[in-house]
Amino acid sequence: MSSPTVDYANVPLPEVRVMTTRLLSAETTEKVLCIIDKIENIRQINMCGENLPRMINSGPAKGNANNHTERRVINVNGHEVELHCLVGSFYIELAVDDKDQLEATVEKIKAAFDETVADGYTIDIGRYSKYRPSLHDYRSA
Amino acid sequence: MAKYKRQFFPGSTAPAKNRRRYLDPKVKLKQLRDVPMDDVVRLMGHRTPGSAYKSIHPPLTEGTEPECPIRKLVVPIEGAAAGDRVRYIQFTDSVYFAPISPYQRAWMYVSRYRGIDTGTLSGRQIIECRERNLEQIAKELIDNETFDPALTGIRGATVHGHSCRLDEHGLMFDGWQRYLWDDSKKEVMYVKDQVALPLDKKIYVGKPASMSDLKKRTTIFRADGVDMRDDKEVTDFYIRIHKLRTLGGYRPFDVKGE
Repeated sequence: MSSPTVDYANVPLPEVRVMTTRLLSAETTEKVLCIIDKIENIRQINMCGENLPRMINSGPAKGNANNHTERRVINVNGHEVELHCLVGSFYIELAVDDKDQLEATVEKIKAAFDETVADGYTIDIGRYSKYRPSLHDYRSA
Repeated sequence: MAKYKRQFFPGSTAPAKNRRRYLDPKVKLKQLRDVPMDDVVRLMGHRTPGSAYKSIHPPLTEGTEPECPIRKLVVPIEGAAAGDRVRYIQFTDSVYFAPISPYQRAWMYVSRYRGIDTGTLSGRQIIECRERNLEQIAKELIDNETFDPALTGIRGATVHGHSCRLDEHGLMFDGWQRYLWDDSKKEVMYVKDQVALPLDKKIYVGKPASMSDLKKRTTIFRADGVDMRDDKEVTDFYIRIHKLRTLGGYRPFDVKGE
């Protein structure tokens, strides 16, 4: 495995996990992202949710286009993002220097969700995804 | 000897009472909507509405059946007498207070219908039957109170969604989006049949019930609704079954006085 090329690799930056009470439509996801995208000190945003297949992948209709209304390209402040799922959780990694900065950023994220997500959400701060290689990454196939 | 009176389910809480109602074939379930029979046939996708039933054997009246005392004893259902194909409908029930859940569906089906075969999985329940009888059963199950447009899905394949969070309109997740929310009518409409083949016309199955209404109608015990532990009789019933099954499996000589 190659050595890290960026200075934040192997550093457990704080992460904000937002789980929404309801699965969000593409429209709401777009609204949320448009606001979060502008908040400073955010390094990356990952989204998870329920998969929306492009094609019907089994049964008599196999091979047909799925035509799911929520599987589409959304526009986040000029960037096109292709949604593959009905989003239900956000993992927002923060590049902050101290506690005050962290709290200020989290407040802004909360305000963004309060404004756009009507059915509620839970928010947690911690580290929920992998930030450094582990034994598994060195395992040969 | 006292006359045997059939029992269905213990307990005094709302889910327990609902279970008893659904299981008892003498209780006529409330009809909440009326989806036309042709639309039910379209939703299942086994035959074009109006077309003849395909058969897999000659009608029983032709008398080509072998000599058999059981065949003489059992009165065939209409579809079996005509030699219909065996077809299916499958329902998915959300964990978010759907009116009924798959296991109670199985109990209800075998308690209420003849000539069926049913199978239970974690989130779905299939019912197989001769085609013309199936259509009547399917219409009954879609029209009555065990069906909720938002929390019950008619899904023949890829049923994933029963334990997922609901979407913003309160509909159970469906990756194949067989049904959509019609915001103008405030109703749920099916745009694909149960195996996701597109339908020629939209089929409306009515307005979803409110969560407070569903909590009264459901058979599901949940920590955020009625906890099963709140109903002592139900808890004791399941503890007893658990005890007898466990002891019966490895220390049957310890089962005494049960």
